[in-house]
Amino acid sequence: MKLSKIILSFVSALVILFSTSVVSFAKVVGDKIILGAAISLTGKYSSNGVHTQNGYNMAVDRINSMGGVKVGGKTYKFDIIYYDDESNPKRAAQLAERLISQDGVEFMLGPYSSGLTKAIAPVTEKYGVPMVEANGASRSLFTKGYKYLFAVLAPANLYLDVAIDLAVEKNNGKGVTVAMAFEQDAFSQDVRLGVLDAIKRTGSKKVIDDKLPKELNDMAATLVKVKQMKPDVLVVSGHTKGALTAIRQISEMKVDVPMLAMTHCDAAKLSKQHGKNSQYALCASQWHKTLTYKDDFFKDGMTYDADFTKEFGYAPPYQAAESSAALLVFKDAFERADSFDQKKVRDALAATNMQTFYGNIKFAPGGQNVDKPMVLFQVMCDDGGKCENKVVAPTKWASAKLIHPIPSWSER
Amino acid sequence: MKNNLILYIGILIFGIAAPFVFPAFKVQLSILCVLIILATTWNIQGGEMGYNSFGNILFYGLGMYLCASVQVGMFFPLAEWTESGGEKTFVHTPTQFFQGMAVGLIVAAVVPTIVAGLIGYSILGLRGHYFAICTLGLGVAAGEISGGIEIIGAGQGFTTPPFPDVGSLDSRGEFFYFLSFFTLVLTFIAVRSIYSTRFKLILNAIRDNEDKAEAMGIETMKYKIIGWMISAFFCGLAGGIMGGLVGYIDSTDVAFDGREMGVFMVLMAILGGKGTLWGPIIGATVFHIFKEGFWTFFLGWQYVALGVLIVVIVIYFPEGIMGWLREKYPERFGEVVDEADRKAQVELK
Repeated sequence: MKLSKIILSFVSALVILFSTSVVSFAKVVGDKIILGAAISLTGKYSSNGVHTQNGYNMAVDRINSMGGVKVGGKTYKFDIIYYDDESNPKRAAQLAERLISQDGVEFMLGPYSSGLTKAIAPVTEKYGVPMVEANGASRSLFTKGYKYLFAVLAPANLYLDVAIDLAVEKNNGKGVTVAMAFEQDAFSQDVRLGVLDAIKRTGSKKVIDDKLPKELNDMAATLVKVKQMKPDVLVVSGHTKGALTAIRQISEMKVDVPMLAMTHCDAAKLSKQHGKNSQYALCASQWHKTLTYKDDFFKDGMTYDADFTKEFGYAPPYQAAESSAALLVFKDAFERADSFDQKKVRDALAATNMQTFYGNIKFAPGGQNVDKPMVLFQVMCDDGGKCENKVVAPTKWASAKLIHPIPSWSER
Repeated sequence: MKNNLILYIGILIFGIAAPFVFPAFKVQLSILCVLIILATTWNIQGGEMGYNSFGNILFYGLGMYLCASVQVGMFFPLAEWTESGGEKTFVHTPTQFFQGMAVGLIVAAVVPTIVAGLIGYSILGLRGHYFAICTLGLGVAAGEISGGIEIIGAGQGFTTPPFPDVGSLDSRGEFFYFLSFFTLVLTFIAVRSIYSTRFKLILNAIRDNEDKAEAMGIETMKYKIIGWMISAFFCGLAGGIMGGLVGYIDSTDVAFDGREMGVFMVLMAILGGKGTLWGPIIGATVFHIFKEGFWTFFLGWQYVALGVLIVVIVIYFPEGIMGWLREKYPERFGEVVDEADRKAQVELK
């Protein structure tokens, strides 16, 4: 059989290919600290993936231009190796493995979304690679006992429970009826758990509890039910697409509900894309430009907002801000550790206690940031149709008063 | 025959040595093994039997969930493991991990086989495009259903047990590599021996003319179901391994990933040449290398590059790499060619 010859030559070609393609980087080359990141540049999370990447890049440029990172008396600059995880957890886990074992990366930045972070965390944990992530909020990430995972954001279950509290408060402390529609993914389902806790705590009642498919394009069935049941609060969470779909269909179907609470409004640029239709939507956010936190690199939220807009041509959603904050945390930890030893850097990260333009950062033993509350903003429009996000809760940061209940469509 | 033996021993040695020669590529090599298993077993009913199935992803995903569930459920309460808000952390001891994995893999192979039998009984009466479309729905439905089952994590996903602390950091990669490599060897031996029996001829008869095969007294339904069950057995195993390798199971993106794995397994078999023993293996290898290359060098454009590859395959290699080689070098495939006859044929064209 001559066929075997063909296959033999094929196999040997393979060997040559493999052996020539081993290119290894070290974590610190010359004056560069190389971080690795798998980001969703394509697929269902691509828009948020880009926000994340822009946030990282913005911070890298800023830190590098302002003197870099000082370790052991030498100045280093940040550099990031990116891969596209295609919004797919399988791919993300593979890429983490690749970044660490092939590219030799010893410090990682997180991907976008809880699901992908969940896929990457076991890998970084196994290799003892410290990962500062800014976009994986699922509570289950912080209950697994991961030692090398640090999240600069508040866990997902805290996103919308405040909204339920607000509704109850407006209802004179009596329980409210809640309709829920959540995408079937790690993050949204965790938001749901938080809302469920809040419902239980306040003696409220859930009347609709729908699970929506990924890549949410249609939630008309849920909205028909909402029209029938007339709940006090409608809670929707499904990343950027979920927010856009909800507003589009609520306005099309003229669904009246006293309170509409959502996530990802700013990432979806709701107020810009849907204008007045998005008015009164209440949104959970990790950050808002009007918050008065400060740091040396970005000064404060307003300055960050202006600088980011100048560089990328759109206002930064919180996904970008928290991503920038992740690099500030890394810089701080490297300098305090004064070493590139992964264990030392890890310990330094665990001891982080700092303020950034994005908020205070201090990690609980599980890795989540416990020093930064969530804020709720409401989309408010003036008569000219210009809409803006204004913080309405918690009261400490509020720049506007909550409009409740939402006027019905016939009155708008 | 002697040449063949050398080839097999060569590949075996290459397979065993690979993780030590290319330590950085262990994960990619493990995935390659899984891809080859999927392509080879898809070929049983897709290539040999002529029933193009997009539904094998169902068995793969089923195997993945089953293996992980058994591995956890044998030692800990499964519901608490997957419940996202759970405050408890469970850790498998090495013995528990490997025992669980072993039992899990057995379940992951057996249950999908039974499921294939049941589903096959009801839908293998469909032929051609109707069968393909029907199976396309299977994977999609399974993804949506599993995304709603709380005990396996629903939309939250399922984190498979982390690899226990045995030996060095490389042990996880080596374990999964050898697991997938030996499963591949097992698959190859099984498929190869199946292909040397009357069973393969029956499958081919079904592909070439099912009615005639039936008229000759072959119980086609029985063989079609058995063929699909064999595929399901190995797909389930592959899924179980992949679940452990990835470490995180998501209903539509990892387990019932019809959009990627489900299509890739068909593509790999066609690229290599369906209806041949070596075709799917070569196809999977070439495909995997291309894909990894695209990811590295065409960041953001990898799917465009992949699309171009598919177009090129369909236009220039409709019979796959093996088919193309066979046409070019028929002598090497043991075919006796009469030069004069060949020339005459070319002129006729």
